[in-house]
Amino acid sequence: MEILIVLEDNHGSLHRMSKEAIAGAQKMGGSVSALAIGSNAESLAAELSGTDLTEVITVNHDLVSSYNADGYAEVVKQVVETEGPKTIVAGHSYQTRDFMPRVSAKLDIPFIPDIISMDDGFVKQVLNAKLNASVTTGSGQMILSFQSAAFSEDDIVSGECAPRSFDVDLDSSIVRSQSEEPFQEAAGDVDLESADLIVSVGRGIEKEENVPLAFELAEVLGAEVSASRPVVDSGWVESFRQVGSSGQNVSPKLYFSLGISGAIQHVVGMKGSKNIIAVNKDPDAPIFELADYAVVGDLLEIVPKLIEALQTE
Amino acid sequence: MFEREVLEVDILFVGAGPASLAGAIRLRQLLRETGKDASVGVLEKAGEVGAHSLSGAIVDPRALRELFPDKNDQDFPFEAEVWEEHLYYLTGNRKIPFPFIPPSMKHHGCFVASLGKLTRWLGEACEKDGVDIFCGFAGTELLYDGDQVIGVRTGDRGIDKNGTQKPQFEPGADIHAKVVVLGEGTRGSLTKIFLQHHKLMDQRNPQVWAVGVKELWQMPLGSVQPGYVAHTMGFPLGHDVFGGAFLYGMKNDIWDLGLVVGLDYKNPGVDSQHELQRLKTHPWIHSLLKEGKMIAYGAKSLPEGGWYSIPKLTASGAMLIGDSAGFLNGQRLKGIHLAMKSGMLAAETISQALEENNFTETKLKDYEDRMKSSWIRDELWKVRNFHQGFDHGLLGGLTNAGIGLLTGGRGWGFKDRLTSKAGHLQMEKGLKIDRYQDLQFDGTYLFDKVTDVYHSATAHEEDQVPHLHVNEPDICITKCTEEYGNPCNNFCPADVYEMVPDGESQRLQINFSNCVHCKTCDIMDPYQIIDWVPPEGGDGPTWINL
Amino acid sequence: MKIAVLVKQVPGSESVLPISDEQTWIDEHMVSFVMNPPDNFALEEALLISETEGDGEVVIVSMGPARVQKVIREGLAKGADRGIHLEEDGRIETDPLSIAKRFSSVLKEENFDLILTGLQSDDMGMGQTGILIGELLGMSTATLAMETDVQNGSIRVKRELESGWFQWVKMPLPASISIQSGLNTPRYPSLKGIMGAKKKEVKVVSSGEHQTASKSQSIDKVFVPQTTKQTEVIEGDADAAVTRIVEILKSEIKIL
Repeated sequence: MEILIVLEDNHGSLHRMSKEAIAGAQKMGGSVSALAIGSNAESLAAELSGTDLTEVITVNHDLVSSYNADGYAEVVKQVVETEGPKTIVAGHSYQTRDFMPRVSAKLDIPFIPDIISMDDGFVKQVLNAKLNASVTTGSGQMILSFQSAAFSEDDIVSGECAPRSFDVDLDSSIVRSQSEEPFQEAAGDVDLESADLIVSVGRGIEKEENVPLAFELAEVLGAEVSASRPVVDSGWVESFRQVGSSGQNVSPKLYFSLGISGAIQHVVGMKGSKNIIAVNKDPDAPIFELADYAVVGDLLEIVPKLIEALQTE
Repeated sequence: MFEREVLEVDILFVGAGPASLAGAIRLRQLLRETGKDASVGVLEKAGEVGAHSLSGAIVDPRALRELFPDKNDQDFPFEAEVWEEHLYYLTGNRKIPFPFIPPSMKHHGCFVASLGKLTRWLGEACEKDGVDIFCGFAGTELLYDGDQVIGVRTGDRGIDKNGTQKPQFEPGADIHAKVVVLGEGTRGSLTKIFLQHHKLMDQRNPQVWAVGVKELWQMPLGSVQPGYVAHTMGFPLGHDVFGGAFLYGMKNDIWDLGLVVGLDYKNPGVDSQHELQRLKTHPWIHSLLKEGKMIAYGAKSLPEGGWYSIPKLTASGAMLIGDSAGFLNGQRLKGIHLAMKSGMLAAETISQALEENNFTETKLKDYEDRMKSSWIRDELWKVRNFHQGFDHGLLGGLTNAGIGLLTGGRGWGFKDRLTSKAGHLQMEKGLKIDRYQDLQFDGTYLFDKVTDVYHSATAHEEDQVPHLHVNEPDICITKCTEEYGNPCNNFCPADVYEMVPDGESQRLQINFSNCVHCKTCDIMDPYQIIDWVPPEGGDGPTWINL
Repeated sequence: MKIAVLVKQVPGSESVLPISDEQTWIDEHMVSFVMNPPDNFALEEALLISETEGDGEVVIVSMGPARVQKVIREGLAKGADRGIHLEEDGRIETDPLSIAKRFSSVLKEENFDLILTGLQSDDMGMGQTGILIGELLGMSTATLAMETDVQNGSIRVKRELESGWFQWVKMPLPASISIQSGLNTPRYPSLKGIMGAKKKEVKVVSSGEHQTASKSQSIDKVFVPQTTKQTEVIEGDADAAVTRIVEILKSEIKIL
């Protein structure tokens, strides 16, 4: 095999980033296989039965029934040593970050993380995404991880593939950690930096009484709410919602800005957003230079209508 | 956790600028010569040395050469020796060279430099020499024992915007020192209190100030010759506003463009940052900058009063050096060498004071005597009436300066001392005129204030009491609006002060996080109700090579 | 307990970053270097653990040219006991595996109980060095620690997972852990700390002494991200705008 995708189990089904990794791997050319580890390995493989892959290798051993770094790293190493792929690929998730460096050291091969494109070598962001770097390896084998949304699961090529189980050699001298059950914590400060959808409100909202409009729109969209500095300074939203050079840095799939002019202090905190819809009365607002969709109009008129329209969808 | 740290040092310099750092280095040299040891500390409010340093600058190497007799000019962190210089009078679209450059305005033999780079270099020399530089600590109070200064208290950390202690609260530290040397730079905050407490400005001319605003422009490879110097008068300030522009070529293809605006203008609507943008509309400037990219912005006030505005320099246990004392040669546009020399002279006095274990005013006064018999005095005496002439406009000022050259500095040729008037008193009521109606900010060549400020990389702990204390805020929305039209919105080069609508009327919003620590507001507010005090240590601009 | 904190010196976020002539990195003439902000949290965590444990030492370790002495001293001023500087001349290494091997060769003999690192560096953002070292030295590893709990011979770490999930993992010492930013409040150095820093030991290991492993990845070039952005302007009345927006959300951005 040429490319091996290491899949991730997200509470019983395939992690979105694994699907994106498949799409990316399929673009690279060469035979692509996948590896599923853990007690859900077979059902993950079943999810991919209609995908164009050579096969899905499944590993289900007691010591890796659920995720742990020691075990997963060792499993990947053993599979790679047996199957000999040139490239190992995964989504750049927290889990990949946790164990893939171990694989890199075990196999003595480079791990190029958080790749955003493969158009010009392996491209990753550097210096807080101010610049991009094209990375090359001299090595034969390599490990790559793809940034969230670098590729789209819509681009997965369909086909057929079957699972094949693989036996690994694991014992407690290798798997030395003990993990407890994952748990969720009561929502404290919202982590805007990992939010996928954001509705952001600026001075154009005019009054504190209008701010709930933004929250309503966010709710209908399943989005988080952020704000530009002046809104936070006026005390209309909590300070942890501030986006910008002195606030949070966000790069959601959708950044829906309402009444934000686009001063540079704000823009640096959100220009990595994948899709930007900006609503502003002022046709010359700097935010329009950044937006994918520039809605020139009165947000106080548009947003209530939009909320209504979305509720009927 | 709530205990105040107490530290003892022998000598404490406040402010890691050229004056203090040169002073600290000189002091260590003298201590080594006499075989003594003493602990020398420097307090600096910025997170690192140089981050709050800003100047043009053209440096007269005299003080550096004296401080480091074993080094050559190439060892100093200059950009380049001045090799080409011009003096122009600008109209809106023409540039007219002055028929000749008066010798005092000739910069040959001097060096184009970045003050930030220079202070960092001096800071490294200090640390190698065993001086402790405490960055991120702001001096907020002088400590006294009776009438003797015995140290400095630094600011508390971890107080929220309502004045309540946060969980990470840390009280400021008390640093006890035998002598506190105030080298805070322009309009120092401890200095302001120190001058008042000991009445050190009695019988002096009030200090008069200017503000310098500048932008650094990164140009394509090979397009800037380091060491190029141009100064201009005329456009955009005209004849009624003191000041002029400078353009210096730095290394790495950087143009250093700035404007000095006297803070004694009559029209309350004057806005130095806007004037800088107007300057860039001049075709000559545009032709130089258009292929480039603005990479940094900053602003800082400067003391222009000259000799007669220099206060008494000492009290028991304390001394004033550098811009805090007003050692700036307004005519030559140079103060760094004077600042350094003053620090070095202070060090000489301190070295003796340490020998004799006497730090009273009677002993420390020796510094003032040294200063008066040094080249600081020689230089500043000749231009002692320079700025005062400009109270009569540009032509008046130039005439006075010209005559001064021939008469050893006499005002109008015959008066030994011309008086001056504090700049904020020059603002005229009801005279606010908008000079910027035609100015269009495009965000790539001409910048609005908010965009320019972003390039100062200034940041402040958001959750703290604003460090700009407006002592009678009612005046802002009543008297000041009527009489002066809220000039703070204009004279602040960092968009800190903003009148925003508040229901039916308006209120003053203080965007303290934008503050670049230039002190213009403390200087220029017509009612003198603004007190600039240091924010939490480490806050402020992060200037690199400004 | 012997704790090593690996810190990296990186360009400050407000530095101007023009690309160098060879286009392989940035020209550093307007760069102000700082301690990698995430590493600050790792350092604070190490100091807190050391204070709780009561004995042992915290050692600051950094690799780079002479200027990294500044971040080592900063760590010493905040309370670390001593420092180790792996000198690097010439071009800075960017391959995490090579870097990890070099660190490992020096750290091996120290037998640290814990190695703490920040979650990733602000300049390269590879996020691997600490874990690579852990594997090379046969240590337990964990990443994105939001809380640490040192026990006898082992450490419990609260790992941050995506979407607000967390997980406690217990592992035997020695361990190499990467620390998530925000788990603590890094202290300021005290005045006495700043004064005392210059008296603390900093061992310098010259570049010849830490084995130069062959590079397995490198940066070919850096460039400014291109925005191939086409802006669609939506004007007209509110109803028309709303209709268009709904369509965009449904068919183009696909979030409905």
